[in-house]
Amino acid sequence: MIRTRFSVLADIATYVAALVIAAFFLIPLAWLVSLAVRTPQEIFFGASRFIPENPTLANFGQVLTDTGFLTYLWNGLKLSGLGALGAVLVAAPAAYAFSRLNFRGRSGLMMAILAVQMVSGLVILIPLYRYMGRLGLLESHVGVTAIYVAIGLPITVWLLKTAFDGVPIVLEEAAAIDGYKRLETFIRITLPLAGPGIASALILNMILNWSQFLVPFIMLTESSKWPISVAIYNYAGSTTATTTHLLAAACLIALVPAIVAFLLLQRAIVSALTAGAIKG
Amino acid sequence: MTDRKVPMPTGTDYGSRHNPMPGISASPWPWLAPVLVVIGVFYLYPILDALRLAFTNASLTGGGEQYTTRSLQWVMSNPALPTVLSNTAVFTIASVVGQQLLGLGIALLVIRGERNKLPGMLLLRTIVLAAWVVPGIANGIIWSMLFSESPFGAINSVLRLLDLPPVAWLSNPANAMMSAIIANIWQGTAFSMIVLYAALKTIDPALYEAAAVDGAKPWERFWFITLPQMRAALLVNSILITIQTLNTFDTIIALTGGGPGRATEVLSLFAYNTVFYSFDLAGGSVLSIVLLAISLALAALYALFLPRREADQ
Repeated sequence: MIRTRFSVLADIATYVAALVIAAFFLIPLAWLVSLAVRTPQEIFFGASRFIPENPTLANFGQVLTDTGFLTYLWNGLKLSGLGALGAVLVAAPAAYAFSRLNFRGRSGLMMAILAVQMVSGLVILIPLYRYMGRLGLLESHVGVTAIYVAIGLPITVWLLKTAFDGVPIVLEEAAAIDGYKRLETFIRITLPLAGPGIASALILNMILNWSQFLVPFIMLTESSKWPISVAIYNYAGSTTATTTHLLAAACLIALVPAIVAFLLLQRAIVSALTAGAIKG
Repeated sequence: MTDRKVPMPTGTDYGSRHNPMPGISASPWPWLAPVLVVIGVFYLYPILDALRLAFTNASLTGGGEQYTTRSLQWVMSNPALPTVLSNTAVFTIASVVGQQLLGLGIALLVIRGERNKLPGMLLLRTIVLAAWVVPGIANGIIWSMLFSESPFGAINSVLRLLDLPPVAWLSNPANAMMSAIIANIWQGTAFSMIVLYAALKTIDPALYEAAAVDGAKPWERFWFITLPQMRAALLVNSILITIQTLNTFDTIIALTGGGPGRATEVLSLFAYNTVFYSFDLAGGSVLSIVLLAISLALAALYALFLPRREADQ
């Protein structure tokens, strides 16, 4: 009797805490949506018009047509996608070796690759900015993509190793008996079977690249080359109080693709995150 | 199986005939080469070059370079450095502690909810995680709208509705740091939550059953079972988010730009400004090496406290 009353109280406390937490995490996003659908007049009513009287989608139209945000969205998607693809392609063979081959210094080398993650992008960008300048790769998506590949590599190696660990080795043994060479086995057996793990590594890389600011901000000064993160930063610098509704719309446009990708693939992303962190 | 004739490919990378997938004799280097080349070109060489540049008078605008320790002296005697370092310490410590505590709290809450079959826990987790995918720049812009001191600032306009005085969230130096920390915790907590949630799930329930038999109170179970079992996860997570917090300034540059004055200028932003606003490549290299040294020192410090087993892996 007492026990049940206690557990009911505890359940209520759980929900109260959950509500407070949900509010803390939702309100900033809700506020952004609220500002993004207001008319310029209603912006100045502040919180009293949290739900606007005359909601409008015109702000999104204006941002997308007037300010080149379609180009920025495309640049962002292109850079994130190519960077993610590159990281997976470069990381896959190494991840396979870490998963399947026994060699001296294997665990030490894996830790070293993970330790590379500790290096701030800033440390490498200062010298890289000069090399890229000499190679004529400033203002180019090639240069930015290459740096994205390098930055995404450590975590990708770990994620793919975990994915390959999950492929039953007997299938590879069977392929070897059938006369497959190791490279053939890797490409025709292991890679397809590790498909889901590879896909979540790709998506996680894309989301991280989508957020990437420093690299394109330093490497690209021509506005037509900017991905969306750099574009909204510069847009924020050029807006004033009277255009807050447009900045809110632009900001929402920048984060909707990431949130949608996350909602669709939540399970894969969560397992990729925990695999990377717990094993690390 | 050993009797079966295995068609051996040319080359002996399959090793012993008795084991069709031995792996032991196959050379790993062709497989590792792409990763090692990329890391060499994009990490090792640049780090060495940054180290070299720190001892020159190199400028971003070019010109002849000479080896000198002037940049090093200039950076170390720069009157802004103590402020920047203390900002960095405050921002990093408060962010890491805040993200760990809030992340652990939410993880415990979600686990409790799931254990008691309360609906809505997945939704709570999803809401928290949604903040994590918000790009750092967007995070700074969103919070600048919340903290805005103009009539439409979210928090101040709520305060006004409640007849409370407005707060100078961003224009007062002391508040600006707190605001930046709140924005950073909002975005970063999800990562801690998910890591700690996964770690909580791996704790053997038998430990709790034994404790219940012994009549342990809830806080005793938390203190003597949960926390010790979570030690490795908490430490690894601390390393990851400390380094992450030290190395990024996306949120700060969009929220306060490092101001007012230097009130929220952290080391990474200071290094960036030195190179790309003052064009002082050498000075920026010195600062970025300092940043790297701090990261490595902290990671080593945390690693000392790792349980032996994890440290070996």
